[in-house]
Amino acid sequence: MSLKDLISPFFVWQRAFEKPYTVGLKPIVERPGAPAYRGFHINMSDDCVGCGSCFTICQNHAIDMVKVDGLEAHGGDSGLRPRFDYGRCCWCGLCVDICTAGSLRMTNEYAWFTTNPDDFRFVAGMENKSWDGRTGGYHRHPDYHLFPPKRIEMEMLAPEESVASFTEVAKGYTEEQAKLEADRCVECGICVATCPAHMDVPDYIHSIRDGDYEKGLQLMYRTNPFPATCGRICTRRCESVCPVGIQGEPVAIRWLKRFIVDQVAEADYARILPNVEADTGKRIAIVGAGPGGLSAAYYLRLKGHAVEVFESQAQAGGMLRYGVPSYRLPDPALDKDIEHIRSLGVEIHFNHSIGRDTAFSDLLDNYDAVFVSTGLNVPSQMRIQGEDHPRVMDGLKLLDDVANGKDPQIGTSVAVIGGGNVAMDAARVSRRLGAEVTVLYRRRIEDMPADTEEIHEAQAEGCIFVTQAIPVEALNAAQSDQVTLKWGEAEMLQDPKGGRPRPVLQEERMHLDTFDTVVSAIGQGSNLDYIPTEISDQLQIKWGKFIPGDYQQMVLNKLFVGGDVANATADAISAIEDGHHAARGIHRFLDTGQRG
Amino acid sequence: MNTVDEILDYAIDQEQQAADFYADMAKRAEKGGMKEIFLEFSAEEERHRDKLLNVKQGDQELHANQAVINLKISDYLVDVEPHENISYQDALIVAMKRERAAFRLYSDMAEKVTEPALQDVFLGLAKEEAKHKLFFESEYDERVLKDN
Ligand SMILES: Cc1cc2nc3c(=O)[nH]c(=O)nc-3n(C[C@H](O)[C@H](O)[C@H](O)COP(=O)(O)OP(=O)(O)OC[C@H]3O[C@@H](n4cnc5c(N)ncnc54)[C@H](O)[C@@H]3O)c2cc1C
Ligand code: SF4
Ligand code: SF4
Repeated sequence: MSLKDLISPFFVWQRAFEKPYTVGLKPIVERPGAPAYRGFHINMSDDCVGCGSCFTICQNHAIDMVKVDGLEAHGGDSGLRPRFDYGRCCWCGLCVDICTAGSLRMTNEYAWFTTNPDDFRFVAGMENKSWDGRTGGYHRHPDYHLFPPKRIEMEMLAPEESVASFTEVAKGYTEEQAKLEADRCVECGICVATCPAHMDVPDYIHSIRDGDYEKGLQLMYRTNPFPATCGRICTRRCESVCPVGIQGEPVAIRWLKRFIVDQVAEADYARILPNVEADTGKRIAIVGAGPGGLSAAYYLRLKGHAVEVFESQAQAGGMLRYGVPSYRLPDPALDKDIEHIRSLGVEIHFNHSIGRDTAFSDLLDNYDAVFVSTGLNVPSQMRIQGEDHPRVMDGLKLLDDVANGKDPQIGTSVAVIGGGNVAMDAARVSRRLGAEVTVLYRRRIEDMPADTEEIHEAQAEGCIFVTQAIPVEALNAAQSDQVTLKWGEAEMLQDPKGGRPRPVLQEERMHLDTFDTVVSAIGQGSNLDYIPTEISDQLQIKWGKFIPGDYQQMVLNKLFVGGDVANATADAISAIEDGHHAARGIHRFLDTGQRG
Repeated sequence: MNTVDEILDYAIDQEQQAADFYADMAKRAEKGGMKEIFLEFSAEEERHRDKLLNVKQGDQELHANQAVINLKISDYLVDVEPHENISYQDALIVAMKRERAAFRLYSDMAEKVTEPALQDVFLGLAKEEAKHKLFFESEYDERVLKDN
């Protein structure tokens, strides 16, 4: 080694006391980044839903999802936002490419000087940065997607074919289709929070990618013992928040659920799914064998409690059997769910009405806990003149007749009044029975509470929709086996308090139309007459619905309630969750004596 | 009823009677939860009574010309008789119909009287009843006509 080599490092010291060139100063001549340069990140925080796809895809672990002050999680938004670490980022732009909301992009700003290294970790979009207003830089091209924006279409019977029978309309995915659809899921889990039963959607979808359907089934049964049913008719709140749907169509979560259940034979359920724990010696009575009652029965039985279900009908399933028609939910699918629950030793007393065959108070006296899920089975009356005309029928009765194999004798021209699921099912069933169907609804199509998919299918099947139409009277028609409906047109009036617009009858625009049958499907209420007044007086009940406390428990410690008769959403998955929640509450109560 | 005070006394008495009627229904109601509903109706009528008492004392005014939306829901519904086992749908119909009858009574009276001051009071009362009718009709629209 030469002497120069030895001494030269010390020459560096001569610079040690000079003013630095770069820190705190930008280069004198600032050179703009190329138009599509991948520089510093911008996140439109209002559009971001905190799905974390950017975090997942980043190969350098340069992104964390963090809680931000002032942002709360709510339906479809985790409340978290990505925090970038520029000590790790390599500006590859993958996070921008995957961003489901399209909220994330990069600017062409590339120079940032600070004396504090911690500044280089920042939550884009939540902290002011000098490049905030910049429009240049890297954007994902709108036609370029890391996952296909369109879902794999479910094959359906053509409308001409579907109205000819009660065959299931949706045919189900093939394995290839299911795998392609499963690949669209970014596994963010946003849907888990929104699903009333908090089903582990990303993991069961992952099981499709792995081809491990038994695992998928196990995951579903953790919170939902009705997956064959929900895989067909769930109201799928999860899909409404799936961020893949922001710039395309949401993942077809419901159809993927159905696919998994359809891959596993019922005979294998006992081997795959959990078994009953040791007998606890406790007895629980359940009133109603609908999804709410049977969900509670399933989870209570698993814990080793003896469960007896009292059901006034001849079969189990509640409205899923006697309301939802078989072209949407075929009996074998519903039976697959119910049979597994029964196979664990859940005893169902059929044709046994509480209030008629056994007093409600006897249940409270003789069982350790009682769960009530008796649903909404009393059709609301229209209360118009002539409603008692023999050719006026309620929608639940029509669907009940058809489910029981009876001919409801509706004739060939039918008017259905209403815009909910019952109305859509009554209309589509009437089409299948060979009638021309007119649906009359007080408000507009967009106000209909029925699932939009059902509305479209009803339209495709030839049901005619007359909206802003208010029935005012049912009159005798010229022929005794017909009925004339008097109805008036309505104008929509904005609700000054911000509620949904209200229809107002225009009395000068009345119409008379004659039909073989008018089907009224304007809503349902509960029948709680089986609870004697001295008990119901102690309970919180409003507008015909129970108001339960935590864990679905009522003021009477032993009494738990759920399903349509206790929730505002009145759909199957909410009833299922209520049943599961109550089961946890009952188990806790029996185990520890603690109230919810 | 020849003076404004007499008319208001009559109207206040009517509201009191309505409040008593619902309070009595609450005592007799058999269906779970109906007691609370009738007690709420009764409280609503007491609020109406108190407002008229304020008007009589000059603390509040009636507005004969205000626009009140008429949803016309109760106009085409059949009458129902109140009874112990009444449902909430029918209870709302009873309430809507009572407000409608009061509205019509005051509207008719406004047409019959000639003195402008009295006419104004009747019209103001009719508008009050129209608002009460709207309140119950909106409830009916929300809760009973959910799917319609
Ligand atoms: C036509 C129609 C279509 C629908 N479509 C959909 C859909 O597409 N998706 C969806 O998610 N939901 C749908 N729903 C709603 C769904 O069916 C209900 O939310 C769900 O069934 C509620 O479950 P539950 O256990 O609360 O009550 P229910 O299913 O109503 O079950 C209650 C059970 O209690 C029994 N019972 C009542 N009183 C007594 C008594 N005193 N003694 C003994 N037994 C008694 C009844 O016979 C019944 O079997 C639909 C409903 C209808 C009517
Ligand atoms: S991928 Fe987009 S929407 Fe999702 S957290 Fe990241 S920035 Fe937000
Ligand atoms: S289904 Fe949608 S919301 Fe659910 S985990 Fe997948 S991408 Fe996220």
